[in-house]
Amino acid sequence: MAKILMVSDNNDKIKHYDEMLTGFSHDFQFASDNQMFSDIVDINMPQIIILDSDSKSIDLSQLYRKINSVKENIINITILKEDSIPPELLNISDAFLMEPVSDNVLISTINVNLRRKDALIRLATSNQNLSKSLYQLDVLYNTGSQFAATLDKEKLINIMLEGLDKALGFSVACVLTFKSDNEPLLIINSINQISDRLLEALKLRAVLNYKSLFENKEMPFELDINDLKTIKYAKNPIDDYDFSVLRYDNMLAQINLSDNFFGFVEIYRENEFTNEDTQCFHTIAQQVSMPLKNAAYIQEIQAKNKELYRLEHLKSEFVSIVSHELRTPITPLKTSLEIMLSGRAGILTPNMQKFLTIGKNNVETFQKIINDLLDMSKIEAGKMDYKFTSINMEKAIEFVKTLQNNVADEKGLKLTTKFDENFATVFADEQRIHQVLNNLLSNAIKFTKEGGNIEISTKIVDAQDIVCPECFENEIKKLNGKYVQVCVKDEGIGIEQENLAKIFDQFKQIESSLSREVGGTGLGLPIVRKILDAHNGAIWAESKLGVGSNFYFVLPVLCEKSNFWIMHKQLIQQAKVNKTKFVTLTISAKGNCIEKLMKEDNLFNGTYLNNSLLDKNENLTSLTMVIPDADRHCVDFLKRKIDAVILNDKARYGKCDIMYSYTTYPKEKD
Amino acid sequence: MKKILLVDDEQDIVETLKFVLESEGYTCYCAYNGEDGLKLAKEIIPDLMVLDIMMPKINGFKISRLLKYDAKYKNIPIIMLTARSQESDKQIGEETGADVYITKPFDLDEVLATVSRLLKEKEEN
Repeated sequence: MAKILMVSDNNDKIKHYDEMLTGFSHDFQFASDNQMFSDIVDINMPQIIILDSDSKSIDLSQLYRKINSVKENIINITILKEDSIPPELLNISDAFLMEPVSDNVLISTINVNLRRKDALIRLATSNQNLSKSLYQLDVLYNTGSQFAATLDKEKLINIMLEGLDKALGFSVACVLTFKSDNEPLLIINSINQISDRLLEALKLRAVLNYKSLFENKEMPFELDINDLKTIKYAKNPIDDYDFSVLRYDNMLAQINLSDNFFGFVEIYRENEFTNEDTQCFHTIAQQVSMPLKNAAYIQEIQAKNKELYRLEHLKSEFVSIVSHELRTPITPLKTSLEIMLSGRAGILTPNMQKFLTIGKNNVETFQKIINDLLDMSKIEAGKMDYKFTSINMEKAIEFVKTLQNNVADEKGLKLTTKFDENFATVFADEQRIHQVLNNLLSNAIKFTKEGGNIEISTKIVDAQDIVCPECFENEIKKLNGKYVQVCVKDEGIGIEQENLAKIFDQFKQIESSLSREVGGTGLGLPIVRKILDAHNGAIWAESKLGVGSNFYFVLPVLCEKSNFWIMHKQLIQQAKVNKTKFVTLTISAKGNCIEKLMKEDNLFNGTYLNNSLLDKNENLTSLTMVIPDADRHCVDFLKRKIDAVILNDKARYGKCDIMYSYTTYPKEKD
Repeated sequence: MKKILLVDDEQDIVETLKFVLESEGYTCYCAYNGEDGLKLAKEIIPDLMVLDIMMPKINGFKISRLLKYDAKYKNIPIIMLTARSQESDKQIGEETGADVYITKPFDLDEVLATVSRLLKEKEEN
């Protein structure tokens, strides 16, 4: 049955079709002029228009325009008097029939077109459903990827709600969760503000929902409506929702963390939910549980880490305090033994001499162990201070060799040195470098059998030419440029290959009881490594069981070939020759190093600070200082001090790339 | 006879140092806290002082500064003793006018050599 409108000025035809079509139970109307046609189309839109093109009293071109404007929604069948179609009709008519029109032909034309129209409508609807599903799928996908990007519980719940809002468009969403301390929380997101009455109702409903989820089962959390806290978010705070919301269509889903209950989400919408909506809702609610579980783990790990960090700090503090306390009584102990050994307190028998010497030697060993512990705790706490100056490596080696000569002689060991033809100058803390060399050399002496040889050699090398065993390759990777490589070669017992990588690692040493074999605290080599790290150097070892070990370390050289120093020296020279009036020194650094330097190290005091400019942009801070009287060595002085502080800072705060540059200004002509 | 003032709150250290220094022919005066140390220094005007840094009431830095800013006492050489060996402490020691800085536990020979060097330098001036 269809609504049919006939347009014709021929009453006989109208009458005929009226009878015929009504007989087929169609709803028949007619229009015999333009006005009537327009009115009917506007008020009671027909499904089918039958147009009699042989209607002389009707303005056909006006009629065509009207039909054209509604052609998407109607079926137009045109009855032609002769076998020629007016061109205007070609695009707007669905069928053309020639007079005389047989009733059967007209009816079948109507039926065919009705069926076609029906099919089109169905197609459009399913297209619409398809695109809705696609949209929901897209939201699901996006929500899923957002879930993966965060591990924050609150954010995860927000993402879930956003996804639900986009995909389903809820009016009100209630999320019930339990915080870590079992504190129940109801989060209500809504379009309009929730009235107080409704809030109470929603709270009650949440409690009932919760209890019904665990009917006849043990509830994972206690829930009393008086303890239930609420948070409300409304998009439109002006309007209020009242009890009407409770009549809306609603859906509820439980959120689980694997087997554990986490909470639930319930949403309300004025329009009814479809099957697809239900699926989409449950999928999103399920999707959130995995990241929520991870978030819970992360929170646990973070808490544990914090505790570990605290314990680690406590340990360092403890070691530091204990070492200080232990060191205090050593002083009078050692002094007393020395007094007796010196004969000041009376004449000694050979046995007294022997046992006092044993006592003194052991006090000294004890002192070394405590020094190691103190050094390590200082390094771990980042409190190790270095005093950097340019020192000569060969001189340092000769110095340490003199210290150890006696011990080596006693054991009948031959200590030799072999130096590179170029002297190596390094920028380092002299005492600490002595400590490094001393440590390596005393180890070599300890393990080399009587009458053996120990050789200390230096070699200037390029970073890319350095070769080391595979287990130390990571140490070498960070190097770049020219280095002095120092090698301490012994004829000792050697180190097993599997232990080689562990000897510089304090924890691994303790773990593998290697320290017991080596003797001492086992902190010596780890400290050496930390000291070299602070100097931007590296250390590694090669060893063959029963043959001996080679310990290598490298430090960046400040040789004459270094461009930076040449540039620096030339500038100073130039400043002196030209009687430069002033020099500007610009220091740039990432982060807030410079401010730190200014505050902590009292570097830029007096005159320099008055003439300086601090320029901050994003991550780079630069300080430009104007230094008057540059010909008076002050740049040289300042440069040295900066070098020291910067290297110091690197050791303390890890990475901070600092660059500096000079500009000299010649003296103004008189 | 040269007068040496020893100030340290650890009596054992003072005792051993006193013994050695006296056996070398010096006269020793001892104080076991900063307050007494400062009082004694002004009273006897020693030829040299050995000062501990960490002491109750008045610490070694303070004593050193107070004496070095006073024309009457500024020529007294000061040896600083401390259990701490941090660079920053050393720098402060130098700034407060201590002449030599020795880390505990020290070598007796080192202390004796330093004492005789400082006294010799003082005499030459």
